[in-house]
Amino acid sequence: MNAHGPIPILRVGSNLLTTVHIDLHDTVAEAFQQDVLLAIERTGATGLVIDITGLEEVDTYVARILADTGRMAKLMGAQTVVVGMRPEVAATLIRMGYMMEGVETALDVDEGLTLLIERQAKKRRST
Amino acid sequence: MRTLRTRLGFDQRELQSRRAFFDIQDEDLARLAELRELALKHMDDINEEFYTHLLSHPETKRFFPDDATIRRVKRLQREYFLGLFEGRCDLEYVENRLRVGAAHEQIGMSPRWYIGAYRKYLSQLLDRFTNELPVGEGRIGYDSVLKLIMFDMSLAIDAYIAANLETLGRHQAAIRELSTPVIKVQDRILLLPLIGAIDSQRAQQVMETVLLRVIEEKAKVMIIDIAGVPVVDTKVADHLMKTTAAMRLVGAQTILTGISAQVARTIIQLGVDISAMPTLARLQDGIELALSMLGQQITKAST
Repeated sequence: MNAHGPIPILRVGSNLLTTVHIDLHDTVAEAFQQDVLLAIERTGATGLVIDITGLEEVDTYVARILADTGRMAKLMGAQTVVVGMRPEVAATLIRMGYMMEGVETALDVDEGLTLLIERQAKKRRST
Repeated sequence: MRTLRTRLGFDQRELQSRRAFFDIQDEDLARLAELRELALKHMDDINEEFYTHLLSHPETKRFFPDDATIRRVKRLQREYFLGLFEGRCDLEYVENRLRVGAAHEQIGMSPRWYIGAYRKYLSQLLDRFTNELPVGEGRIGYDSVLKLIMFDMSLAIDAYIAANLETLGRHQAAIRELSTPVIKVQDRILLLPLIGAIDSQRAQQVMETVLLRVIEEKAKVMIIDIAGVPVVDTKVADHLMKTTAAMRLVGAQTILTGISAQVARTIIQLGVDISAMPTLARLQDGIELALSMLGQQITKAST
């Protein structure tokens, strides 16, 4: 495993918040994905914010892990927002033709949570 | 009560054709009747030897746990043995032999031990016949008894297979009933909790049952809960998608619930697209969603 221990997953209301501060590679990525999904299963969260402010580099592998995690969470009924992507990271991903389909993105944690909360409120109103 | 023979559809015609195939002539039966005296003479020592053989092998010994059982089966075995030398092979005889097979199936003795025991019997008879009868006579006598024993064996195997098929049929019927329990959650909302592996046959049946119930109940929403399905692969996902499509054709929406972390990962890793239906981790959320689709909601009771 990695020297930093598991990536913490926090509960904020009906959403989950996790800040990725270490490189998401191989076993770390697998464990992260599993932890996030199990947390959704356990809490019944309807939203998930993945904060990647701490990542200086995001290659297509990591981008795919993030997108996949988002789509898996969606199957379990949780909407995912990836936040805090650095401008150079965004530029690199676009240059490589990777658009992160299937997940939403927002500027930072605050915006991400607001987006989820607004969406959930709207859903409740519509019913 | 119907006899075993009629349940198997074993009639006079079947008897004729089987006797013809086993080449059991009236002369054979007459010969066996003549050998009855010899058979009576050796009945007890053949029987003793036979059970010594069965009891010396752990696989067959376990069927005879105590002395009382052994005494009882020895008596039955004597009856069986003398039956070979009655000089008859009619429908009554067939019924008797079928019952022997069914009895062995019931105690769980499988055909391999049963056939093996017959081998012992034949060896013993061959031994007595060659020792006690003139050369030609012994051979012919042995041939007659061989025909009848093989005939008996075929009946026993028939009984085994019939009993197995009956058990299998009962289980299949039970499984069919248990496999698609459609529950009415509320007006126009149905729930299908799927448990266990899903193969093509079951998927087909699930679709048919579910469609029928949806139409019967005029349901608008069908919740399929797959928490009890151990493996969701591309095939299962494909079946679910087809069911959803069929549901839409009769005017109902499908919600898929009970998606565990493991299943979510598998579906995405396999690249299966099930975005045509709403999916949720928990059944509870599925029911809430279903209600909201019908413009209803669960609220706390006002105090």
